[in-house]
Amino acid sequence: MMNSRTTKHARRAKWQNIVITFILLFMLISALPNLYSDKVSIHLANNNAQNEQVSPQDINNLLANHNLTVDEIKSSTDDTTITLKNKTDQHSIESLLIKEFGDNYSIESSIENDAPIWLKSLEGKPIKLGLDLSGGVLFVLDVDTERALSDRLKSIVLEVKSLAIEKRIRLSKVKLQDNYSIVISYASPKQSAYQDFLTKIKKNYPELTQNKLDENQITLAYSAQEQVKFRQETMKQTIKTMRGRIEELGITEAVTQKQGKNRIRIELPGVHNPEEAKRIIGATASLDFYQLAEHSKAVGILQMTDENGRKLRMNSKEVFSGSSIKNARSGQDEMGMPLVNLTLDSVGGKKMSAFSKKNIGKPMVTVFSEFYRNTKDEMVKKSKVINVATIQQHLGSQFSITNMSSLQAAQELALLLRAGSLTAPVTIVQQRSIEATLGADNIDNGIKALTIGISFTLLFMAFWYRTLGVIANVALALNLVSLLGLMSLLPGAVLTLPGIAGLVLTVGMAVDTNVLIFERIKEELKRGRHALSAIENGYKSAFSTILDANITTMITGIILYSVGYGAVKGFAIILCLGILTSMFTGVFVSKALTNLSIRENKSQLLGVKL
Amino acid sequence: MNYFLLKQTEFLSKFRLVSFYFAAVFVLLSLFGLFYNGLNLGLDFTGGYLTEFSTQQSLTQNKMEALLTSFLPDTFQLSSAENGTRWSVQQIDNDISMKGKTWLTDFSERSGLTIMPQDAIYIGSQVGEELINQGGLALLTSVIVILFYLSLRFEWRLATGSVIALCHDVIIVLGIFAWFDVSFDLTILASLLAIIGYSLNDSIIVGDKIREIMRRNNESNIDSIINLAIKSTIVRTLITSGTTLATILAIWIFAGESLAGFSIALFSGILVGTFSSIAISATVPQLLGLTADYYLKKEEDVCQLP
Repeated sequence: MMNSRTTKHARRAKWQNIVITFILLFMLISALPNLYSDKVSIHLANNNAQNEQVSPQDINNLLANHNLTVDEIKSSTDDTTITLKNKTDQHSIESLLIKEFGDNYSIESSIENDAPIWLKSLEGKPIKLGLDLSGGVLFVLDVDTERALSDRLKSIVLEVKSLAIEKRIRLSKVKLQDNYSIVISYASPKQSAYQDFLTKIKKNYPELTQNKLDENQITLAYSAQEQVKFRQETMKQTIKTMRGRIEELGITEAVTQKQGKNRIRIELPGVHNPEEAKRIIGATASLDFYQLAEHSKAVGILQMTDENGRKLRMNSKEVFSGSSIKNARSGQDEMGMPLVNLTLDSVGGKKMSAFSKKNIGKPMVTVFSEFYRNTKDEMVKKSKVINVATIQQHLGSQFSITNMSSLQAAQELALLLRAGSLTAPVTIVQQRSIEATLGADNIDNGIKALTIGISFTLLFMAFWYRTLGVIANVALALNLVSLLGLMSLLPGAVLTLPGIAGLVLTVGMAVDTNVLIFERIKEELKRGRHALSAIENGYKSAFSTILDANITTMITGIILYSVGYGAVKGFAIILCLGILTSMFTGVFVSKALTNLSIRENKSQLLGVKL
Repeated sequence: MNYFLLKQTEFLSKFRLVSFYFAAVFVLLSLFGLFYNGLNLGLDFTGGYLTEFSTQQSLTQNKMEALLTSFLPDTFQLSSAENGTRWSVQQIDNDISMKGKTWLTDFSERSGLTIMPQDAIYIGSQVGEELINQGGLALLTSVIVILFYLSLRFEWRLATGSVIALCHDVIIVLGIFAWFDVSFDLTILASLLAIIGYSLNDSIIVGDKIREIMRRNNESNIDSIINLAIKSTIVRTLITSGTTLATILAIWIFAGESLAGFSIALFSGILVGTFSSIAISATVPQLLGLTADYYLKKEEDVCQLP
């Protein structure tokens, strides 16, 4: 009986060891790419066989004249490859080469990791470093708040028109007077209903100042103060949307700041290919849903042509707009055609529900709009009908848009809709790469300091706990490797200075886990237990303490992650991952190691003869 | 021998009570500092003036930083681009004479660099108002959730002790930043969060030990139970805090100016956290009236069920 229990136990331990080894190997391989660095290389290919090949000396001299250094310049018969020392030099070197050799050579650049091929084939990636440690790309966006204001007024004009119909008031004219005000002209003066009508407008748009011009005319205007307020609100909204978009791109450690009156400064860490980021950040896509106009008498008609050239006449007041979209996911229908699944918020859901109930069997038009700058550098809104669908049934807050051109288009639209649409058009006015804010020397010093600190910890543990201390050190090293591995695996994890704070805390926690266990074991030994059972008991009873301590820290970490932004979020990621790895290595790995080393060397443990 | 032990225990109790009152005084001092001096919020929180310029010569970031430090009176943030020829300096918006492009010409003359001004603009904070509000909410939520979890796992008085110790640590570190006028930026905020984690860890381990002794021993005096718990965890507390402090000290000494604020926060936080796990999180339950037979009584209650 006793015998079968021990074999069962041994078998379980064996299985555990295999699983542990497997996990550790996986983490080690994930962490490996961090040993190798990304290199940017620029290729100069000869366009014409008659051209003389540029000699490496020429390039080197040219670069040296501009204070640029490179790792190596390799030349073959028809191709010269320059491997850069510093990623951030890429732009300046490229433009320099294009200026000098651009006529006769084609110049291309590529980023390659100098890891061995077998590692690359596993598609492992190194940890992304934050702005403070490795720099990134800077975008400055211009927000057209003027345009947003006039768009807002345009939609108010439509609202006023439909309100007038509702109140049975005949208006001869409602139009924009200038960018800040609307003029309303009554068809006939002196009607008792006017007052009611104006009160209603006042109630709906408290920000507008009403000003009576004469008997027949009244203006609705944004006062200077309200204009400023509107612009500030628009900027706030746009910054919020930008943060959402950047997060959707999977970049957690970006910096988004308001710059001047109507610009936004965005710094993205570790972005090699700014084009994608640029497309998402600068995009102004929005979706609006319209009803087809049934008769020409309706208020405001919007005319558009769809891709087949069919003319569509729509009610210019949209059923609901993109801002009501709560969630959007791309997917495929049964036929494998790409589509976007939408979830509306409660306001949008109610509108959709009421609208679709009344209009079953009637068509609804989905319009996709985007702002872009035309050749005259003016902002132009380009709208496109992407879908005319017949409402088949009473729809709720969930439905989908079909007829997407490709899966990628569906994904991109979903991303943009998720991150929120912009109320004001934006354009990117500046883009350049930036260097690490901490500076290379500071980073080197920081790493040196961290190494000194951790070495001291390792030495102390080995001195204080002898054999068990060495085991703890191995566990600690494996903890760091696992943490690096996990961080490399997660696309959103970025290492920054605050992240290093998390790392220090993690090392502390990992040491703590081991110290707790070892103190327990010592206690058990003092009570006169046998070595093996002391170890078994030590691990078992320390585990509940460790669990409590780590769960509470994990709670903090998760809450920080869910509400934090930027640096705080990065810190929270490291903290949570660190707790996982230090629990794993501190409890399971070091126990397995202890069991192994006891089998090897039964007499010496904790510096005490047993 | 027996007498000696007794006396030692009494000393520890006295030490705990005295340091508890000391801690209370320190918290008041820190709160006073926070309200009186306020936090010296860094550029991450306040925004400020951003001046961009380029230099003909290529300089390392350290060199430029040294040059600017001797020239600019306030703290600033420097970043470079294009191989050390393009610079952005961000300053706090309080020194009007230094604002904008005007200081650049002076600086150019004094440093002998050929400087071309590019742009001078006001820049908003990295942390929006809604994010600060959210952050406060997050802190509050996490305190409540932790209190709830610990109350489930331990006992409400032990849980309260841990949470009070945690508030104490955070307030004192904030107080240090207020009194010594050290710039408080996002990195410091992150270290503050690390301190919360650390402080909780310390308190829980002492609390756990108290619970264990209460369950196991027939000791009837809560005072000696707490002292025993502290004594049996003191080695662990010292080793853990000691090694972590050594790591942070190494960063403080060797990593240079840029990591100083961060090291100060972590160092003082862990020091205070270790102290509070003994003086506060173990003493508060006693002051709140935790009795030695709490867990025994509970078990008896369970036993009485048919």
